[in-house]
Amino acid sequence: MAHDEKLIRDLENRANQLRNNCFTIFGSTQMGHCGGTMSIIEIITGLYFHHIKFDPKNCDWPERDRVVLSKAHCCEAIYAALVELGVYPKEMLETYYCYGSPFQGHADRWCTPGIDYSGGSLGQGLSFAVGMAYAEKLKSAITDINAGQGGFLQRYIVRYDPLYRSYCILGDGECHEGMVWEAAMFAAKYKLDNLIAIVDYNKFSLDGPTNEVMNLEPFVDKWKAFGWWVTEIDGHDIRQIVDALDLTTRLYGDYRPKCIIAHTVKGHGIPSWERDHMHLGRGEVIMKGIKEGREKYADI
Amino acid sequence: MPTFNKHIQIENKPDMVPIGVEKAIIAAAAKNNRIIAVLEDMGFPGLLWFKKNAPERMMECGIAEQNAAVVAAGLAAEGFIPIINSFLFANVGRAYNQIRQSILVDRFNVKFIGREGAWGETGISHNTVEGIGSCRVLPNLVILNPADSVEAEKATEAMLQYIGPVLLRQESSPPPIKIFADDVPFDIGKAYTVKDGKDATIIATGYMLTEAIKAIDILEKDGLDVGILDICTLKPLDDEAIIKVARETGAIVTAENGSVIGGLGDGVAAVLAENLPTPMIKVGVEDEFSQSGKITPQKDDLKVHFGLRAEDIAVSVKECIAKREKLKKRK
Repeated sequence: MAHDEKLIRDLENRANQLRNNCFTIFGSTQMGHCGGTMSIIEIITGLYFHHIKFDPKNCDWPERDRVVLSKAHCCEAIYAALVELGVYPKEMLETYYCYGSPFQGHADRWCTPGIDYSGGSLGQGLSFAVGMAYAEKLKSAITDINAGQGGFLQRYIVRYDPLYRSYCILGDGECHEGMVWEAAMFAAKYKLDNLIAIVDYNKFSLDGPTNEVMNLEPFVDKWKAFGWWVTEIDGHDIRQIVDALDLTTRLYGDYRPKCIIAHTVKGHGIPSWERDHMHLGRGEVIMKGIKEGREKYADI
Repeated sequence: MPTFNKHIQIENKPDMVPIGVEKAIIAAAAKNNRIIAVLEDMGFPGLLWFKKNAPERMMECGIAEQNAAVVAAGLAAEGFIPIINSFLFANVGRAYNQIRQSILVDRFNVKFIGREGAWGETGISHNTVEGIGSCRVLPNLVILNPADSVEAEKATEAMLQYIGPVLLRQESSPPPIKIFADDVPFDIGKAYTVKDGKDATIIATGYMLTEAIKAIDILEKDGLDVGILDICTLKPLDDEAIIKVARETGAIVTAENGSVIGGLGDGVAAVLAENLPTPMIKVGVEDEFSQSGKITPQKDDLKVHFGLRAEDIAVSVKECIAKREKLKKRK
């Protein structure tokens, strides 16, 4: 199913808007995890503005799709999306890092409706998303049991679409964590085809190139060996993102968790951040990047 | 014979804490289909019941405690009540950061049952001396440590009714004596006065309540009327009850089967230091790890090693009374 050109152009405009929101966030504190945030802008756009079930007026909607940002230091991208969706007013972007603000330094479910997972300690998000995916299966199974119909397998017959899907955005660096692979084993064992992991493979973590810090390759083969369905895309090409996401929906019922490996660039779109593989920018360095970005992605 | 309070019905025979836990879990799980058994390849209280009646509510995570804790958090976020059972060093110790980040930050309704305190046959790796101390510093976590099967059943029941993360430490080795009558009241955060006293008070938790009761007999022979306060909820501590007994007797001995650093003794000391400075002695494991050792009625090497017998408590009580008298004279 080819998506029409207009949708793609709209989403690209949205992505630019998200970037501008992120610049406002970074500018307000002159600090932020700008590199990793820029590398997931298109992924977040594809999810929130095209793919997932999400009601901005009712963030706790029980049937909303769950989005777990495991690399929770890049929450700026989600804040930007929540503002764009109208969950929070635009002025609130400047309260980032402030006491009492819903826009905390790391994503916090407790004080930010619209966020599904409080993260910060890396490598745990996939397990949490797995728990939510398992809960979806259980909810259906328990309903079936109450109706006297039996367990897990029964629900594949009675239901063609899950109550909700569980999405997890992982960083490449955090895949060094052993528990990511514990979760991968678990998801395959319980056949969680309602679970979609998206790896932001931007090739850089704080100390240097991810694969020099600790080699992940052969990365795709690893996921495959763990029993996952895997695809690779260019994580900055909106068309490839929405195609891959929509394909995972059509594959539901194949008893396999899905992994989209999105090849991205750290600090994407901002020349100085791209050059330095910027992780956490501060002061002049971040302000210089914001200036470059504002010129490139001028307000629409 | 010492006179105990009305809910005390001591039977001098071995009693198993896990039996009480199992009973309560089965009763609750039969009524509530949101209760999920999370296994870490270490068995589960009521496993046979789950296998027969609710196999879909058994989630086997394998020997991967970190993943199990966070998957449980995901389940709790969706309204389920996962119970994770294992050794305390594993389900809590191994997943400490996962519990902090993914469960406690959002107060998810996950329950932990962790076993063994300072002793057991399994040795230094499994005997978790630091279990209570390391968990008491965690915000949002309730910690229970029942003393016999009746209290264990009541505590497990209360744990499953409470909405929020709870750790229940169960001590199965050695078996305590049966202490409580079936109608004993139980509330999370409330201490229970096992016996009133005039000369001193022993504040005990878990298995050490058994030793405290035995110590009363020894002390009575010396003409001392010593009270006992049972603390099942190690967090939040019942400050009021602790201050009350301190005011009544003016000499406090705490008894716990675990490290005295960060445990019950430190908790009581902090409450008293701030509210009513009182002479006290902490009986527990000094700053060291444990080792293997069989504990039977005939053999109690580890108890002797750590100084955790009734005799040791009795000596500490006398010391504490002497401390109090010395202070009085100085005034």
